Amino acid sequence: MTAAPVATDSVVARPEAGTGRLQLEALTKRFTGRSGTVTAVDQVTLDVRAGEFITLLGPSGCGKTTTLRMVAGFEDASTGHIRLDDAVIDHLPPQRRPMAMVFQSYALFPHMTVAQNIAYGLRLQRRTREEIATSMRMALTSMNLVGMEDRSPHELSGGQQQRVALARALVVQPKVLLFDEPLSNLDAKLRDAMRAEIRRIQKMFGITSIYVTHDQDEAMSMSDRIVVMNKARVEQVATPGEIYARPSSVFVADFIGRANFLEAVPERIDGTSAVVTVLGRQLTVAAHPTVAAGGVGTYLMVRPETMRLTPVTDGGTGIGVVLRSTFHGPSIDYEVETTAGTVTVTEVGKDPREALGEGTNVDVTIDPERAYLLTQD
Amino acid sequence: MTVLLSEPAPAAGPTAAGPRRPRRDLGVQALIIASIVLVTIGAVVPLVAVLATAFGSDALPRYAEFFTSSVDLTILRNTLVLGFLVGVCGTALGFLFAFVQARLDVPGKKILHVIALMPIVSPPFAVATATVVLYGRRGVISNGLFGIEYDIYGLDGLVFVLSLSLFPVAYLGLLGMLRGLDPALEEAAMNMGATRWQILRTVILPLLAPGLVAPFLLLFVEAIADLANPLVLGGDYTVLASRAYLAVTGEYDTTSAAVYCVILLVPSLAMYFGQRWWLNRKVRTTITGRPSGSVHLVTGWARWPIYGLALLAAAVIVSLYGTVIVGAVTRVFGVDNTFTLDYLKEVVLGVGSEAVLDTLTFAAIATPVAAFFGLVVAWLVVRHLHRTAWLLDLGGTLGVAVPGTVLGIGFVLAYRPDRYIGDFQVFPSLVGGGAIAGGAFAIVLAYVVRSVPAGQRTAVGALTQLHPYIEQASTDLGASPLRTFRWVTLPLIRPALLTGLSYSFARSMTSVSTIVLLVTPETKIITSQVLSAASTGRYGVAFAYCTVLTALVLVAFALIRLVVGAGVSLQRTVTSERQKR
Repeated sequence: MTAAPVATDSVVARPEAGTGRLQLEALTKRFTGRSGTVTAVDQVTLDVRAGEFITLLGPSGCGKTTTLRMVAGFEDASTGHIRLDDAVIDHLPPQRRPMAMVFQSYALFPHMTVAQNIAYGLRLQRRTREEIATSMRMALTSMNLVGMEDRSPHELSGGQQQRVALARALVVQPKVLLFDEPLSNLDAKLRDAMRAEIRRIQKMFGITSIYVTHDQDEAMSMSDRIVVMNKARVEQVATPGEIYARPSSVFVADFIGRANFLEAVPERIDGTSAVVTVLGRQLTVAAHPTVAAGGVGTYLMVRPETMRLTPVTDGGTGIGVVLRSTFHGPSIDYEVETTAGTVTVTEVGKDPREALGEGTNVDVTIDPERAYLLTQD
Repeated sequence: MTVLLSEPAPAAGPTAAGPRRPRRDLGVQALIIASIVLVTIGAVVPLVAVLATAFGSDALPRYAEFFTSSVDLTILRNTLVLGFLVGVCGTALGFLFAFVQARLDVPGKKILHVIALMPIVSPPFAVATATVVLYGRRGVISNGLFGIEYDIYGLDGLVFVLSLSLFPVAYLGLLGMLRGLDPALEEAAMNMGATRWQILRTVILPLLAPGLVAPFLLLFVEAIADLANPLVLGGDYTVLASRAYLAVTGEYDTTSAAVYCVILLVPSLAMYFGQRWWLNRKVRTTITGRPSGSVHLVTGWARWPIYGLALLAAAVIVSLYGTVIVGAVTRVFGVDNTFTLDYLKEVVLGVGSEAVLDTLTFAAIATPVAAFFGLVVAWLVVRHLHRTAWLLDLGGTLGVAVPGTVLGIGFVLAYRPDRYIGDFQVFPSLVGGGAIAGGAFAIVLAYVVRSVPAGQRTAVGALTQLHPYIEQASTDLGASPLRTFRWVTLPLIRPALLTGLSYSFARSMTSVSTIVLLVTPETKIITSQVLSAASTGRYGVAFAYCTVLTALVLVAFALIRLVVGAGVSLQRTVTSERQKR
């Protein structure tokens, strides 16, 4: 990636191909209140490639929003640096950073029409009337807002408001788009549609995007990479698939999707794989680098849908008993009592009439390819 | 458990279903009647008396006279100009203080807040008199410090004093609005490249613009209704209120007075109800979603000139109130600065003690009554009346919508003569020399009527916020409406009760315009004593009265807080916590 020269003093910098690389270097934010100092963001380091869609994911209070607000310039970092295309931008106030934010509350100006809202940033840039008209037309078309120019924000539905907010952020052609839980006020169906919409627009314009959410489903479906945060720190940075299959900690595995954690003592370790005995079978599974042979506090992470139940029909006893089954439509969840504790097993695409009854003796099998050995944080 | 289960189910049937009672609860009915009676004798009858006199046959030629006489037309124009200027200046001053409070990163904001609220507590006379002493022709500051012989009497002095006395209302309203703005709106603008100034111009001011109208109208009404300041500071600048007052007290021409009243009533009522209509419009200032983000205080150099302006205004306010206190204990402030306790002695132990005692007694009687009726009227309006709610609401509000002078003249017209039906006296004289209890009844009634609206307004606000389900849950469990009010509603809206009580007391103690027309030789009221002291140039005594009065009001605030309990701070803390982040 070649670093393009950045005009840090200009309000607008039209994005050129390959610009918009954002780097956070040991970014830390401490708040000092009456009850002492709280570290909201602790040593967050991140390298966002130009045009990448990255999601900050974590439970509330994990520091993801504060990180985003530091990038936008609304909060000053206590220590650490933010670089945009290799230039340090720590000292720039929000209005001088070529970024645009989509707020959770949308923050549409209630005293302006849709068109005025969208044109706001362009007017501040003193663009000509024609330029504004052109950009506006493009924004309205790409966001499906044609014909709503003269409406007032409160006359719009939540989804439409959301699109106006996005259009308003897009027209200023920012180098970085910032999203602060923008979909949390929409209903489930609309949320799904907007996810696709945001991703489509982001790809179309190729704008680097930082997206904050606490919804793991949203993060999985939209991101190039996910940054999982917990207690002010970054737990893991990886692609959605990687995070799901190879979580770096019990916290990440638990926060993203559902997981069973089966206590396991690694007998042998060979590079990135280990041999463990779980539920009466010896398995060779992938292991996290922190896993040590014979170590305690090591768990085998198994996703419920990667396990298989086989009823023991010949009157013998299996290694588990079905405690409860829950029907979800496309899938059935079973809670199974085993020697290693209660595990959850999901069967997908089974005929509900063939669901296993409570009390059924079962054998439980694990797909070693899809299990992962972890240490407790 | 088993006992409960085995109990025959139908037993609960008849009691639960019960005989349907379409009629209103007796207690509620009694309260409705009591409220109507109060509003009628306290506001409607005096108002009708004024209107009847003003539209009587001998009054009608007066209108032609009024609208052709250049003197009278000047008075009308004076009144409107005064209202307009005070509305503009007071609102601007309120905005200045609110902006500094909510948006500037400067030290000493708590003190500024207290200073901005000072004018609520003390009687307007204090400011007017202190202004003459400090900034008048021989003023301690204007002449003594700067050597200017400035004639403060007239429009400029009135605008100065009234703006400073009345702006706290605008300040509080605008402060609430500024704090209520979703900070994300400002962040959005900032984020798209707007500078501080551009944000103020394109986001904050347009959003607050509707909010500036209400305080403007309210200040307009209060300014044109004010009687005290035009009497002390007006000089040649006559307004309708002072003209009407002179017509009654100087010329004994009640017909002319009534005509002036009606002409004053028109803009007053129009502005007052215009203001209420404006506030009640359904305005959506926030869109879906919770407010997010945090407030960004102005930290650049630009804050200092604004801060300086606010400090200057604060210094003027402090100088005025300082003069009141210092003036009370110096022989002739600015001329003979020897310390003396004579004036305070005169007020507390001498001639004035009677006035202090009378005023305290009347206010102490009026305060709980006014606060109670304020709450009751609000409760009836919000919860129990439907189609007639607006009528009672309106009636309760008349006490402030109608200028005090007009109300006072109404009292004189309606209640001075004994009322007979045949030879039977149905209503003894309440006002004037021969009035029963030396006019005490009328004074207390005037206090109550003038004080009800404040409590009523806060209570309506609090009740509208309170979900009716909470009260329905209580009624559902078998409590009568009154019991529900006492045990559920009242504790929940206690802050409104506290405000109502405090405000009622402060208003009663400092009320002038209605009261000066009702005092008799037997009843002395502090404010009318101040008026006579100030207009005869005995400033020391006037200041002593003001100091004692302010002290009494503050003590009463503390007492009310102690008795009712300080439940108010709860919501405040929450919002201020949010502000801090």
